[in-house]
Amino acid sequence: MFFTIFFNEIKYWFGRPALYIYTMIFLFIALMISGSAAGLFDFLTVTTGSSKIVNSPLGISQLFGALTALIIFLYPSIIGVAVYRDYKSEMHTILYSYPFTKGEYLFAKFFSGIFIVHFIVLFVALGIGFGFVLPGTNGDIVADFELRPYLDIYLIYILPNMLFMGAIIFGVVTFTRNISAGFITVLIILILQGFLISLFEDPEKRYIAALFDPFGDAALAYYTRYWTVAEQNELYIPIQGVLIYNRLLWGAIGILLFASIYRLFDFGQNAFTINFNKKDSKRIIKSNFGGIIRVILPKTKFDFSIKNNLKALWKLSNIDFFFIIKSWPFISIVLVGLLINLIGLFELGQVFGTSTLPRTWRMLEAGNSFTLAINICIFLYSGILIHRSRISKIDQLVDTSPAPNWVLLGSKFLAILKMVLVLVSLVFITGIIFQISNGYYDFEIGLYFYELIVLGLIYFIIWIMLAFLVQTLITNPYVGLFVMIVLFIGIPLTNLAGIEQSMFKYSQGPGFNYSDMNGYGATINRYLFYKIYWLCLGIVFYILSALFYYRGLPSNFSERFRILFSRFNSKYAFTLTLFMGLFLSMGSYIYYVNNILNERTSNKEFEIQTAEWEKKYKKYETYKQPRIVAVNVNVDLFPKTRDIKASGEYIMINKSTVLIDSIFLDHNSAPSTFKFDKENSLVSEDTLYNFDIYKLDKPLLPGDSLKLNFTVQNKPNTLLRNNSRIISNGTFINNSYFPSLGYSGGELTDDKTREKYDLPPNKLKPHPSDSTALGNTYISMDSDWIDFQATVSTSKDQIAIAPGYLQKEWIEDDRRYFHYKMDSKILNFYAFNSAKYEIKKDRWNDVNLEIYYHKGHEYNLDRMMKGMKAALDYCSENFSPYQHKQVRIIEFPKTAGAFAQSFPNTIPFSESAGFIADIDDSEEGGNDYAFYITAHEVAHQWWAHQVIGADVLGATVLSESLSEYVSLKIIESVNGKNKMRKFLKRSLDTYLTSRTFESKRENALMYNDGQGYIHYQKGSLIFYALSDYIGEKNLNNALKKYVKKVAFQDPPYTTSIDLVNHVKEATPDSLNYLIEDMFETITLYQNRIVSTESKKLDNGKYQVDIEFKVSKYRNDEKGKIFYGDREKDSISYKTEEMRKPEYSVYLSDYVDVGVFGENDDKETELYLKKHKISSINNKVTIVVDEEPIEVGIDPYNKLIDTNSDDNRKKINPIL
Amino acid sequence: MKLQIENLTKTYSNKIKALDNVNLKIGKGMFGLLGPNGAGKSTLMRTIATLQSPDSGTITFNEIDVLTDQLSLRKVLGYLPQSFGVYPKMSAEELLNYFALLKGISIKKERDELVDKLLDITNLTDVKRKNVDGYSGGMKQRFGIAQLLLNSPKLIIVDEPTAGLDPAERQRFLNVLREVGTNSTVIFSTHIVDDVKELCNDMAILNGGKILKHIKPVDATTEIKNKIWIKVLERKDLDKAEKEFNILSSNYNVDNSLTIRVFSEKKPGVGFKKSEPQLDDVYFIALKEDQLEESIK
Repeated sequence: MFFTIFFNEIKYWFGRPALYIYTMIFLFIALMISGSAAGLFDFLTVTTGSSKIVNSPLGISQLFGALTALIIFLYPSIIGVAVYRDYKSEMHTILYSYPFTKGEYLFAKFFSGIFIVHFIVLFVALGIGFGFVLPGTNGDIVADFELRPYLDIYLIYILPNMLFMGAIIFGVVTFTRNISAGFITVLIILILQGFLISLFEDPEKRYIAALFDPFGDAALAYYTRYWTVAEQNELYIPIQGVLIYNRLLWGAIGILLFASIYRLFDFGQNAFTINFNKKDSKRIIKSNFGGIIRVILPKTKFDFSIKNNLKALWKLSNIDFFFIIKSWPFISIVLVGLLINLIGLFELGQVFGTSTLPRTWRMLEAGNSFTLAINICIFLYSGILIHRSRISKIDQLVDTSPAPNWVLLGSKFLAILKMVLVLVSLVFITGIIFQISNGYYDFEIGLYFYELIVLGLIYFIIWIMLAFLVQTLITNPYVGLFVMIVLFIGIPLTNLAGIEQSMFKYSQGPGFNYSDMNGYGATINRYLFYKIYWLCLGIVFYILSALFYYRGLPSNFSERFRILFSRFNSKYAFTLTLFMGLFLSMGSYIYYVNNILNERTSNKEFEIQTAEWEKKYKKYETYKQPRIVAVNVNVDLFPKTRDIKASGEYIMINKSTVLIDSIFLDHNSAPSTFKFDKENSLVSEDTLYNFDIYKLDKPLLPGDSLKLNFTVQNKPNTLLRNNSRIISNGTFINNSYFPSLGYSGGELTDDKTREKYDLPPNKLKPHPSDSTALGNTYISMDSDWIDFQATVSTSKDQIAIAPGYLQKEWIEDDRRYFHYKMDSKILNFYAFNSAKYEIKKDRWNDVNLEIYYHKGHEYNLDRMMKGMKAALDYCSENFSPYQHKQVRIIEFPKTAGAFAQSFPNTIPFSESAGFIADIDDSEEGGNDYAFYITAHEVAHQWWAHQVIGADVLGATVLSESLSEYVSLKIIESVNGKNKMRKFLKRSLDTYLTSRTFESKRENALMYNDGQGYIHYQKGSLIFYALSDYIGEKNLNNALKKYVKKVAFQDPPYTTSIDLVNHVKEATPDSLNYLIEDMFETITLYQNRIVSTESKKLDNGKYQVDIEFKVSKYRNDEKGKIFYGDREKDSISYKTEEMRKPEYSVYLSDYVDVGVFGENDDKETELYLKKHKISSINNKVTIVVDEEPIEVGIDPYNKLIDTNSDDNRKKINPIL
Repeated sequence: MKLQIENLTKTYSNKIKALDNVNLKIGKGMFGLLGPNGAGKSTLMRTIATLQSPDSGTITFNEIDVLTDQLSLRKVLGYLPQSFGVYPKMSAEELLNYFALLKGISIKKERDELVDKLLDITNLTDVKRKNVDGYSGGMKQRFGIAQLLLNSPKLIIVDEPTAGLDPAERQRFLNVLREVGTNSTVIFSTHIVDDVKELCNDMAILNGGKILKHIKPVDATTEIKNKIWIKVLERKDLDKAEKEFNILSSNYNVDNSLTIRVFSEKKPGVGFKKSEPQLDDVYFIALKEDQLEESIK
């Protein structure tokens, strides 16, 4: 019987076009996505170059996993519907009287669904496999085909997930007899999964996520998170530990679920309902003997006027609306949405473990995560409402009523709109609840309303209109839903195929961006313009759905077309033409502005231009140029019109020993004029690259000077285009707006891409040992140290700031002018800010401290002041005196980025980098990053503005790593050593995670290519550990000596080699291995506690026995593991139980061993000492005075360790 | 008040000709459309009710061109399909209110009054707050009548309404229908001859998409007066009799003998007795003749 039912189901599916449509769609998507990953569209768009192999086992698992996750949306209509279909067709009344068992029936139904899903999965696998090798893909990033990765993923993930999810959906749809309930269940599970992973993102909590992620993604990530590029390319997915537990757990839950379905299911004929008044039953007898009744109906007025039709439309929409909001799938999505939004607000969005104040924009931002759920509700309920009457078989009654089509369709549209309103108001409600619960009462109701209703609704309306057309054309709402999801995900992905302009992609366009300082700024106009553009097309779609509106019983599609033509009248013609016309004219305008009025460079063209630029101008790189020695600029900022007008004067000197006859002027595309004070001729003007060559009539002799006067202003801003970076409040621009001298680089870096354009492999920067490459700092290539002054003007209500000391401030022509001048030489690196500022002032010795902040952002000003003072204290005491008489922090809007940047005595600082941090000073609180970032930026006044590295590999160690080291030391002095572990672990996690995304190479610290994860996270960890090993004072003295030697030096500039030599000098021989491990190679530890025991001794002390392992390995630039260059460089360890030995680089290392106790719930350090380690497996016995609780090897995570969680272990007491 | 159907033809995509050049003129009163299952009754009714469009032909009702001006017809149309569902979790009262809205009754008070009255007429007042999807077949059919009457229709189309009703329900249903049918055109399809006999002042027989006969029931039996014969015979003689006579129907008697009815101008043979013609006979004669014609073709 099982097989009869099973094969009957299979036959049913193979006879349906839907299966083939689904399969074709998935095959197509799989082909396109794997193809484009492998560079299929390189001829259309940018070259897909990377050192990653796209079809590595991990790559396949990600792709296969993502696509099969999409298939889950088909489960309700394939697996879920299997039993429900028998009810719907009322087959069950006959079927359930047949002689088969419940088991046979359920298993056959369930597994036939699973079988059909397998059919689609098979084609997905084929699509992925063939996509990689389609003609045109890049063979360099595709490895040979291998079956195992596919099988692994299928067996470990796809099959168990399918059974588990299938069982849930099967149960839900069978018992509710509601396919939408199945969809909402899918949605909720997917939301919960994403939520679970982000909730347990902290390194210590990842195990929980790994265990409980129903799809096993987090479990896989648990092991592969830190895989380097080489490991990603080569290793099979690991089937071990928590991954196995996860699979077993969810497998068991799946079986349990199916078992309960089996128990609960009976061949009865009622859907599962909750009935609260069952006891209230009574016997019903109808009066069967009616006589003849007179039918005299009360007089009623029938009104078919527009007004009444509108009234009816409104009332009908309420009926549909209440149908939606009373349906429990909808209620559950609302509840889950509320819950997740709230928990998300509480738990997520933290920076360094510290949350941000609950500003309204942040509440709105958190609500964005709800957008997908709202869209899926739109797609689903559009279909359900449009086809609701037919599904309920009441269509013949409704369709023969005199209500016009537009009333029926309009009422459904309005009902969906009301549903969306309910959903977006959830964002408002959760936001307000969260703000109140945080004691934050600055409600910006207007902002909520504006963003949710004005900006948000138009976005959703555009999608509703497309959903209406799709759902009208496709008569099955669940197929319609699927098509809409594919469109929703697929439209933005067309980028991969080189469709870059959003005017060709439905509903796409520039977004908006809010900040406290500048509101929505100029983003809003463009946003609305594009949205109205798409709304016009949306209306066209809506009208088409009215024309195609399914009314009556058309027998086929050609009849629907006939009906369409009979409905088509002048009103339709007029509105269609009107909105199509509007759409096309707005589109033409966008096209005109972006493609004809302004040159548009596609990503592909940009790649070609970059290659051309190098070929054309790199040859001038070595031509000597005069050096800029003085800059004097006038900058007029016009916040209202967002314009800039600037002029300036450079004084340049030929510092070389040769004659200079040509000046290479590199500038931007804004209208500019240039005038030298010596006779010259413009021999080459390049309007594409804006790189001009002037030939001096009389060459510049060594020591001679040259003056350049220039003006530059932006092209006027228009509705669709911003031609300046000036904003209404909070402008932040730097000197890149002004011309520079010489070839400025900016070359293609990927070697495979370069090969395509016949360019030689790129060495990136020269090696620091190359003494010919030390002529420039890494900040500027046309100057060393300059004199600087600037006059900046802005509107009367704003303050404009540039580096330097304010000489004069005045008002002229209703504008405010500021004249700033530097009293000492600075790097050629400056910025301009302008906004309506409040100022907070303080002093440190004779230095003026100022913070220019946005009114209302007073929260953390004291912390920032403290940070400035702490850094000034630390640096001036340990390194050298501060070179200026002021430090200024200047706030700029978060829309320009979430960072701070240190210019000479002037630090532009994003509003979201500390001004609105909600810092928790309690024990559990996160980091005070307002304080921390301030300290880092002030430290740059030494490590960048005094000591600046040559433009070679590793230059950022001298600025970023050391500034970050300073702020770590300052944090340590404030918080104490014991608190550092949390911070160090976070840095370690960031370093280990970021390096897995490396697309070119990872060098050792002192030769790094400037990657943030190396110079910030790894760099700071290493200097912090170094200060621990050789002593803070000792290290700082070495640095002091180094500063003294190289501060404010002229070329040749210093390099990381020079710094490391100073460090080496201060390092005892026994620790010399540190220099190699930390600076010269990429060395990673794998330290862990194996076991530990303790017992109380007779003298009242405690003996602690610890067994632990220490090993370290090295990575090459691709992340490949090695243990040393020669055989004797490595050691190994193997016991009989171990299948493979463990290896390590030769050890003669000192590593912290610690024992910790507890006092008043606080951790106390009972023992901490560096032990010399020379073998992998070690045992020590330590005697401590108090009761030990926990032991650790490198317990504070000072070393770079690939698993920082197994460094500590609680003690098993011997009873 | 006149419904005029001219040259109506409809072929489905599976090549079945559901309507084959149908011409009909229907006036005021009850019109019975008689035909076996699959004769094209529903197609014809749905086409008149604006749910389907024919391949060719015209339908007019009181100057309304039904096929192009569907909305005007719907204003005066009351339609009860062969089977219909309802929205789940909606009571009769709510659902009738919903239809009243659709049918253009804009004043709430009038809507409520009318709905109350209709519930009363259809004897649903007691269960008006119960969900319609839990109604029995008869109750649901009465609900169907109630929604049909909401707009005081001039043209009422009911498609096989009595199928599956118990005798009392059927009687009640027909009574209500008759009551409202006096002032409008009611088209009433059925395959039960008795329904027509009891109610209709005009009728047509439809089979294979063709109108076989359009006649008043009264005239129909007069036409075949003295031409209907009956005879009682044994079961074993039936095969022989079928070859010999034009048998319209044969029924078992209690004693296992059969009574056959034969259509014949004169007495067909020995043992035949004249019988009072019935509407059933008209129906069977029409079907038989059509069958014969078709087989000659």
